[in-house]
Amino acid sequence: MTPRRPSARAPHPAALMHAGEVRAGRLSRREFLTRATALGVASGAAYGLLGLEAPAGAQDAATPVPGGTLRMNMETRALKDPRTWDWSEIANFARGWLDYLAEYQADGTLRPMLLESWEANADATEWVLSVRQGVTWNNGDPFTAEDVAHNLRRWCDGTVEGNSMAARFAGLVDPATNRMREEAVEILDAATVRLRLSAPDIAVVANMADYPAAVVHRSYDGGDPAASPIGTGPYLPEVNEVGVRQVLVRNPDHAWWGTAVHGGPWLDRIEYIDYGTDPAAVLAAAESGEIDATYQTNGDFIDIYDSLGWAKSEAITASTLAVRFNQRQPPYDSREVRRALQMAVDNAVVLELGYSDRGLVAENHHVCPIHPEYAELPPPVVDPAAARAALEAAGHGATEFELVSLDDSFQAATCDAVAAQIRDAGIAIRRTVLPGSTFWNDWLNYPFSATQWAMRPLGVQTLNLAYKSGVAWNETAFANAEFDAALAEASSITDAEARRAVMARLQRILQDEGVVIQPYWLALYRHATPRVRGAEQHPIYEHHHYKWWMEPAN
Amino acid sequence: MLRLLLRRLGVLLGAAVALTFVVFWLTNLPPNLERIARSEAGTRISEAEVAGWLERNGYGRPLLVRYGEWLGVLPGWVGMDGDGNPRGRCLRAGDGAGRDAGPESGPESGPESGPESGPEPAEAPARCGLLQGDWGWSRVFQAEVRDVVARGLGHTAKLMAWVLVVMVPSALLLGVLAGMREGSGLDRALSGVAVLTAATPEYVSGVVLVAVFASSATGLRWFNGSATSAMEDATLANFTLPVLTIALYGMGYVARMTRAAMAEVMTAPYIRAARLKGLSFRQVVLRHALRNALIAPFTVVMLQIPWLLNGVVIVETLFNYKGFGWTLVEAAGNNDIDLLLGVSVVSVVVVLLTQMASDLGYALLNPRIRLGRG
Repeated sequence: MTPRRPSARAPHPAALMHAGEVRAGRLSRREFLTRATALGVASGAAYGLLGLEAPAGAQDAATPVPGGTLRMNMETRALKDPRTWDWSEIANFARGWLDYLAEYQADGTLRPMLLESWEANADATEWVLSVRQGVTWNNGDPFTAEDVAHNLRRWCDGTVEGNSMAARFAGLVDPATNRMREEAVEILDAATVRLRLSAPDIAVVANMADYPAAVVHRSYDGGDPAASPIGTGPYLPEVNEVGVRQVLVRNPDHAWWGTAVHGGPWLDRIEYIDYGTDPAAVLAAAESGEIDATYQTNGDFIDIYDSLGWAKSEAITASTLAVRFNQRQPPYDSREVRRALQMAVDNAVVLELGYSDRGLVAENHHVCPIHPEYAELPPPVVDPAAARAALEAAGHGATEFELVSLDDSFQAATCDAVAAQIRDAGIAIRRTVLPGSTFWNDWLNYPFSATQWAMRPLGVQTLNLAYKSGVAWNETAFANAEFDAALAEASSITDAEARRAVMARLQRILQDEGVVIQPYWLALYRHATPRVRGAEQHPIYEHHHYKWWMEPAN
Repeated sequence: MLRLLLRRLGVLLGAAVALTFVVFWLTNLPPNLERIARSEAGTRISEAEVAGWLERNGYGRPLLVRYGEWLGVLPGWVGMDGDGNPRGRCLRAGDGAGRDAGPESGPESGPESGPESGPEPAEAPARCGLLQGDWGWSRVFQAEVRDVVARGLGHTAKLMAWVLVVMVPSALLLGVLAGMREGSGLDRALSGVAVLTAATPEYVSGVVLVAVFASSATGLRWFNGSATSAMEDATLANFTLPVLTIALYGMGYVARMTRAAMAEVMTAPYIRAARLKGLSFRQVVLRHALRNALIAPFTVVMLQIPWLLNGVVIVETLFNYKGFGWTLVEAAGNNDIDLLLGVSVVSVVVVLLTQMASDLGYALLNPRIRLGRG
């Protein structure tokens, strides 16, 4: 049987509807691209629906040159089972030899990778995935629909400690066994898989592009994936020293499927070198010529790298720093205390002092205006005097609070700005700054602390990951039945307009319950020497190694 | 001589046991163990789960028993994991057999070859501690402590070798030049330099050197402010600043001691006799004064080595040079018990060995000193 090519047929009706929304100004172009490609419309066709030409892949027309080594600073972390990954850095190393079913592009579209195409039915409860043909694992095995089903089964296994993928595929999980419902995933033939969800889910393919969704071989059974690096990707791990460096080299014995489809890979070797969390150490490395590109450039360092003559690339994101309370720990179990502390802080001031105004002011509900379902609410009230009065009324007038943060420059500066405003309101607060090695051991449990959250393509995705009761990364310990119910409802509405009404409720609950002080949305930056091409910063820190190349040295 | 060596060896063992026990006790305080359980088994687990995890992983038994296991004088613990599989201290894979298996080894090398698997319970040795050559497993680096410490020591040895190459000759030269004419202008100038460098700790001089010679701030950029690439390929550009930072600090002190010894020797009657004999000043200094003046500095250099290890901790962290000092910082920051213990053992051995070497060298340089006779 020939593989189905759904994208050759008429586009999904919802995509046409969304195109109408864009023309009516109710949906941004970026979000339209995300949503249309998530529904199985090829990105070129998606641009076409808007009456636009698809942009050329790279901004510069220069032809990539094969060969060369690219060195980048990155915290090199210990690898573990992909579905339990909690750091983009882990994924970025393993991306060398592990591919994904789909890939999130910097412009907001989803690019088919190990899937050739996908198609959803009208209410997004049934998905047909077409598996790319001619893909082989680097041990010679062919990549088939069986592999897709195997990985879905792994992702849906909620009994595995720390498996964050299970929450993303709730529509395939049997709540009784906490594992995949076998009847939900049907292998139609070697090239086609059909998913039948228990509830509509608009983010199925977007979730398959998230970084813990690396596709592993059937022989993989937990542990360090670099120990026996069987994958479909073009590179192999050569050095894997945690905290020191990780090196990827081209696999000479493996013909990568993507060369014919997307082009590349160009580089012979990619070295990730660990300089810890101190950005000054990275700057010293850049000035010493030890690295060619930064993983990320933050805060005041942006100007310094600019002055070095390094090229800057920028990604607009829904990433943020959530200064959150842990509601399980007193005194933050009191809603009044949380609301009062929120009220003392002006988010615009935090953005200016903490991130040099390189971003957008946010409204304490973790839904970004660039998300399609964002509902505009009245801005949060800032009233230091009322904040102080509310704390006294709650019996915490003399309590000294403690705000813990990482020693990373912008996170520390942001928390300093938050604490300074709380202090200005006449409330006692102490700041504790911890090095990364100590901080991350306990990030979920600090009573009052700050965590950086990467963006996700849809607003409901972050809420599902971080604020749903009892999920693995719920660091606020927020548990609210009304919120959970509304979130489930929102997660099943494909139409952004219709979803917005529910989102407004969700956002208001988050504000009213005083869950987080979420001051701003970040723009992300990367600097690289002018020789580095195709390695622009990505909104969710993804490294697409096959796009990277280096201009030959003069 | 032999008796002295044996006595020194005894002191070394005693100190190593005492120190490692203190480190063991501190790293095994209940809050530290709880932190380990949370970072290993998930930060959201409850108090009861923490206790369960500690029990399952062998942290539940008395401190002294576990210390004995770590030393290798008591049999390692054995228990069951969540799935009922046997697990224990000695069941961990030794050198990570199978970890190098490439893709060509295929599916058949699957689950059994992972780093978690070790010898079969029946074949595993009963004891596996320091005495058996098993240093334990580093949680931070996900590797054998032995390998991590060896890697760190290798890098640090390279750094220290260059430090000594720079520090010893320059310090002796400075001291001899200053001490041969006590009170002269040269003496005052050189002594001033020596006091200044000895009084500037590494965390000050390192930062100042980087700011002046390696940053765009001054535009000098002669050297690198990062020594990460020196681990593989040390060059003048990437290794000068870390070496200089440590060497300068040690140099001042050694130079002051050399100067004092030199000045004292220069006033001795036999020097006056040599001068009266008509020898040139140069010959007097080189052939008569130098050997006697070098006895004290030799001891000081040897005793300085443990102090320089302090500097190594600071300099390696500052310059991101992944040697022994950096390893210590990472281990301490993450409460990596086995790694911290390994680092402690090595530190004690280094300190006591250099002291022993200084005693022996002292006797060789000065025939009036006899070792081991009361």
